[in-house]
Amino acid sequence: MQHPRARDRRAPDVFRKGGWVPMREYPCDEEVDFVIVGTGAGGATLACRLAEQGFKVVALDAGAWWRPLEEFASDEAHQQKLYWTDERICDGENPLKMGGNNSGKAVGGSTVHFAMVSLRFRPEWFKCRSLLGYGADWPIDWREMWHYYDEVEQALSIAGPINYPWGPPRKRYPYRSHELNAAALVLARGAEAMGTAWSATPLATVSAPQGKSPPCVYRGFCVAGCATNAKQSALVTWIPRALKAGAEIRDLAMAGRIETNDVGRAVGVEYFRDGAWRFQRARNVVVAGYAIETPRLLLLSANHRFPDGLANSSGLVGKNLMVQSNQAVWGVMDEEIRGYKGPPSLSINEHWNYEDKGKDFFGGYAYMSQGPLPAGWASTQNGRGLWGAELSREMQKYNHQAGLKIVGETLPQERNRVTLADEKDQYGLPIARITYAFCDNDKKLIAHSLHFMEQALEAAGGKEIWRQEDDTCHLNGTARMGDDPRTSVVNADCRSWDIPNLWICDGSVFPTVGGVNPSLTIQAIACRTADRIHAIAQRGEL
Amino acid sequence: MKQRVRSDTTMLLALGGMALATTVLGARKPARPPRQALRRQAGREIPMHIAAASRFNHSSSLLALSVLADSAVEHYRGSFKNPAMFIPLVSASLSFFAGLHGGHDRRAASHPVRHGIYAFAAVAGIVGTGFHIYNVTKRTGGWSWNNLFYAAPLGAPTALLLSGGLGAIGERLRDQPAEDPHLLGMPAGSALALAVSAGLLGTVGEVGLLHFRGAFQHPAMYAPVIIPPVAAALMAQTALTRPRPRPRTRWWLRLTAGLGLLGMGFHARGIARCQGGWRNWSQNIPSGPPLPAPPSFTALALAGLAALRLRQTEK
Repeated sequence: MQHPRARDRRAPDVFRKGGWVPMREYPCDEEVDFVIVGTGAGGATLACRLAEQGFKVVALDAGAWWRPLEEFASDEAHQQKLYWTDERICDGENPLKMGGNNSGKAVGGSTVHFAMVSLRFRPEWFKCRSLLGYGADWPIDWREMWHYYDEVEQALSIAGPINYPWGPPRKRYPYRSHELNAAALVLARGAEAMGTAWSATPLATVSAPQGKSPPCVYRGFCVAGCATNAKQSALVTWIPRALKAGAEIRDLAMAGRIETNDVGRAVGVEYFRDGAWRFQRARNVVVAGYAIETPRLLLLSANHRFPDGLANSSGLVGKNLMVQSNQAVWGVMDEEIRGYKGPPSLSINEHWNYEDKGKDFFGGYAYMSQGPLPAGWASTQNGRGLWGAELSREMQKYNHQAGLKIVGETLPQERNRVTLADEKDQYGLPIARITYAFCDNDKKLIAHSLHFMEQALEAAGGKEIWRQEDDTCHLNGTARMGDDPRTSVVNADCRSWDIPNLWICDGSVFPTVGGVNPSLTIQAIACRTADRIHAIAQRGEL
Repeated sequence: MKQRVRSDTTMLLALGGMALATTVLGARKPARPPRQALRRQAGREIPMHIAAASRFNHSSSLLALSVLADSAVEHYRGSFKNPAMFIPLVSASLSFFAGLHGGHDRRAASHPVRHGIYAFAAVAGIVGTGFHIYNVTKRTGGWSWNNLFYAAPLGAPTALLLSGGLGAIGERLRDQPAEDPHLLGMPAGSALALAVSAGLLGTVGEVGLLHFRGAFQHPAMYAPVIIPPVAAALMAQTALTRPRPRPRTRWWLRLTAGLGLLGMGFHARGIARCQGGWRNWSQNIPSGPPLPAPPSFTALALAGLAALRLRQTEK
C-alpha cells in the first residue's frame, strides 16, 4: 500500500469490507496533548486510554491500515506484508532473524499477527533481583499489575480456562477456553506423564461472539493475520475505541525524529507521510515502536543538547535487548494431528516458570503446543538442511507432526544492543544494527527445556524426535524502567528521566522478560501509564 | 461428498419440519377450560386423563423433533464416526411419529407399538448418556471443564429419555380408569407435574453449562436459566400441594413455552453472528448455537400445561 487511508476525517472500518468510520483530525500546527509513535500493544492501548480521558491524541504508525475481512489472504507469503522486514543489520554470536516472530509493520503493530497467547508474569519476576537473584527489579508491584492484567483481559475478552494452575488467583477469564486440538492434547499427555500440570492457553481470540467479532473459526492462520476479526488485536479492539474517543491515527507515517527545544523538552515529531516530511507539534511525545524502533528513534533524535540520543543520560538506550528463546522439539505421532487446525498454541505448560527446584539456571520458560503452517514448516525443514526428495518425504508427515516449543527467559546483557548503522533505509534514516548473543545462563535454560520437552513428547507417543535449536521470538528491553535515573531510562510511569514530556510505552521498558509472551504485560503497563498520566495531569505536573 | 449432501438434506428437512411443528403446536391454545375442551370433540366427552395423555404424546413428539434435528446436526458434525450415532435419529423419528399418532388417539388404552417406541427412546437416551459420559472421560483431562464444554454433551441424550418418558407416561395414563387415575403410586396429575419439573431442571442444567461456555455473552442467555427453574418449582408445587386453580403457574408455563420459541430466534441470530452468517449456513448451523435445542422448553412447558389441567381436576 502506497497511500495513507486515514485522511479526510475518516479511517478504514476494520469490521466492514470497504467501510469507513469517522475520525477526528488535528492540523499539524496544532499542539496536541500527545503524539504517540507506534500503534501496537503499547501505543494503541495508550492512545485509546488517553483519548478516553479527553486528551487530544495523534498516533503515528509506519505500517498500513488493513481491513482484515478483505485484505488478509490464506497465503503465508502474501501475509508477510504484516511484518517489519525493512533492512537491518543483525550481528553478534547469535544474529537474530527479524520478521514474523518478533515485529510488525501495520496499524495494530505485531498484535495483528501475534499468536494471541495472553499470559501474566509470575509475581516474583517483578522483584527478580531481590527475590530470585538475577536480572533487575521492576519499579512496579505485582499486585498493581494484577489489577491492570484484569483490565486488559476484560478489554480483549481473553478466552481462558476456569482454573489456571499456576500463580495467585485471578479473576475468571471473560470467555471460556477454546476446544483443544490434537496438538494441544499431545502436550497435555506429555505433561501428565511428566507429573506436571498443563492448561488450555489463555488466548486473545474469542470463543463466543464479542461485539462485531465472530467466534473463532479455527482457520489456523492466526500468525499470518486473522481474516475474520476473531483475534482481539489492537487493530480491532483499542484502535476502534481510540477513534470513537476522538484520537487521530495516521497510517503509513514513519517517525524520523523527535524535536526538543532549548529547555530540553520535546516539542513534536517529524514524520514522513505521503511523500513528504511533516511535523506534528505536541505537548508530550510517547515512543511505542517496540524494542528496535524505539531506541532507534531516540538515537536518531540526538541533537546538540542530547548528543547521545534522547533520554540517554544513563547510556542505556538500546542496551539490554532481550529476546525470548523459542526452541522446540518435534516428533511424528501415530495419529493424525493437523496442528494447523485452530490457534497454534492451544495448550501450555508453565511448570518451569513457577518451579525453581532442579534448575541450574536463572529464569523460567513456558512451552506450548504448536501448529506450524505449511510454508513455515517447509522452511523449518530447510533449516535442518532438508531439500529435494528428503524434504518431500518429511513434508508427507506434516499431518502427523506434533511439537512443543518454549518461550524462554533470557537475561538482560548490556552487550546485546541496538545501535545505528551507517547504511540508510528508504526514508534516508540510518538503519538499526542489532547485536545479540545468548549468555551461558540462556544456553543452560534452553538445554534444560529441550531435555524436558523431549521426554514429554516421547511419553506422549512421539517418534523420530528432533530438536529445533535456532529460533527466537519477541523483543524487549533497550529502554528499561527503574527507580534510579543512573540505571534506567524511564521511571515506573514510563516517563523518561531526562525529558519530562517524553514517554516510552512498549516492550522496551521491560527490565526482564520472564518466560511468557509479553503482549499482555505491555498492554497492562500501557493501561497503568494512562492512569498515571491522568493522576499527574490532575496534579498539574504533566 | 454424496454422504455430505444427504446429511445436509436430512438436516434441512429436520429443521424445516421442526419449525413447522413448533409453529403448529406452539399456536395451540392450552388455556381453554378443561370442560370446554372436552366438548369440542364432536359432542363426545373425552375423559380428562386421555386428553392429558394425548397432550403428553404431542409434547413427546416436539421433544423428539428437537432431538432429531439436534442429533442430526451434532452427529453429522461428528461425521457419524460410530454407527451408534444413528440411533437417536431413528429413535427420535419413531417417537415423533408415535407422538403425532398418539396426539389424535382418544382411546382409553395404551398402544403397544407406541409404548414400545417410547421404551426404545428411553433406553436409547440412557445408553446415549452412557456413551457421552464415556466420550468425556476417555479424553485427556477427564472430567474437566474443557471436556464438559466440547466433548459429547452429557445432557443431550437426556432429551431423548425425556421424550420417551413423557410418551410412556402418556401411554400408561391411558390404561388408568377415568375416575381418579394414578401413576407411580400418586395421582396422575401429580406424577405428570413432577416428571415435567424434573425434565425442566435437567434441561436447565444442560443450558446452564453451554451458556456458561458461551460466557453469557448476550444478556438473553440468562433467560433460560432463570425462567424454567421457576416453572420447575411451580410444577413441583402443583404436584405436592392440594389441587386448586393456578393461573400464575399456567402463565409461567406459557412464558416458558414462548421462551423456547424465542430462544430459537436468538440462536438463529447467533448463527448470523458467526463468520459468514447464514450465507455460510452449512458450517455455521453445526458450529453455531444449536438451533433445535431451545424448543425443548416449549415441549416441556406444553406437557406441564397438560399436567396442570389434569391436576386441577383431581381431589
